[in-house]
Amino acid sequence: MLGALALNVETSPNTAKLSPLEEMNQCLSRVASCRDKHAFETLYSFFGPRIKGFLLSAGVAADQAEDLAQETMLKVWRKAELFDPDKSSASTWIFTIARNLRIDALRRAAKPKLDPNEPALLPSEEPQADKLVERQDRDKILHEAFHALPENQLDVVRLHFLEDEPHSVIARRLDLPLGTVKSRLRLAFERIRKELGDFDA
Amino acid sequence: MRNHKINHHPKAESLADFAAGRVDEASAVVVATHLTLCDGCKIAVGDFEAIGGAVLETVAPVEMNNNALREFWNRADDDPITVQPISMRPSNDFDLAITQPLQRYLKGGIDDVNWRPVAPGLSQHVLDADGYRNGVLRLFKIMPGTQIPAHSHKDSEFTLILRGSYEDELGSFGPGDFADLDHDDTHTPVASGDSPCICLIAANAPLHFKSMIGKAIQPFIGL
Repeated sequence: MLGALALNVETSPNTAKLSPLEEMNQCLSRVASCRDKHAFETLYSFFGPRIKGFLLSAGVAADQAEDLAQETMLKVWRKAELFDPDKSSASTWIFTIARNLRIDALRRAAKPKLDPNEPALLPSEEPQADKLVERQDRDKILHEAFHALPENQLDVVRLHFLEDEPHSVIARRLDLPLGTVKSRLRLAFERIRKELGDFDA
Repeated sequence: MRNHKINHHPKAESLADFAAGRVDEASAVVVATHLTLCDGCKIAVGDFEAIGGAVLETVAPVEMNNNALREFWNRADDDPITVQPISMRPSNDFDLAITQPLQRYLKGGIDDVNWRPVAPGLSQHVLDADGYRNGVLRLFKIMPGTQIPAHSHKDSEFTLILRGSYEDELGSFGPGDFADLDHDDTHTPVASGDSPCICLIAANAPLHFKSMIGKAIQPFIGL
């Protein structure tokens, strides 16, 4: 019953025309500019369960997945001011935060004696402070190119980002030779990046 | 050495692995150090992260626990918001040993390294032997003219030149250059120039030496 109720919460009329990507960008911008709790809860209800799903598929235990999903959203709330909608999209930024928390958890497991205050080396999750003012346009193109991939390439790209296993294990699970998985990935990335042609010219 | 043009970069697949968080700790340090100097690779990583964002949107949602949102606000309200300033990029002066990703593993700086000789003209220093996903991060110092015996790699090997240069079958490598080798590649690097070549190396599997001499030094390298 509760599940059915949750599904009835549809998008409000003023956001109906936006794609989920644009809606999430707007919500995050509102959190950044005025700490809008309502906008944050929209982000939370969209991303929280997806981050949890992402972590579970990466092999994180259920309790820890819940906890890391909460921590990811906590970081989004606390650091929203760093989000610059001109330079990143909400999903990209939130993906990098979740990825980094997962890496940091791996690192703590590998080095139990580590000083907890020792900062981890993690890929940057700051919206890039470089000259790429067109980052958001790039993000949009990359999103569209990703969704336009043929099914078999889409699958390997998804697994590349979601699974923690080496490509050889992914290949076995898909019942494909490793070379096929690697070439599909390479073709997919080439195809996606080709769509950026105008920017790189 | 300053303003040396970077000619060798990680493969796109390696940048995609880094962006997805799939690489081991040692490999992540080597890639991150290269990124501090290379805007092109940094942009490519940003592109792969954007694809990661698109993938995140497609994940089948898994319901959070009951009361998760209330717990969230309890935690959020307990802690005041502190926004840290965006960190500055390190200066692009090619002293790679002082770039921020490496600093955490090389606290005393490169001139304070306690080198351990492993063969004539070759010494090493292990920076991190217990990184996540079994990556081992080490520095090699190769004296000018010294040749590392031909070897291949069971898995992959990332090498970043910090100082000096070497030449091998793949070309000439100087500061900032990144050698992205997998198990198909055999190489025989020779330190060139007149100062020692210092490289940062991430290898997550033993090197496979082709010759008796190489096999003889293998135990000393501890790879």
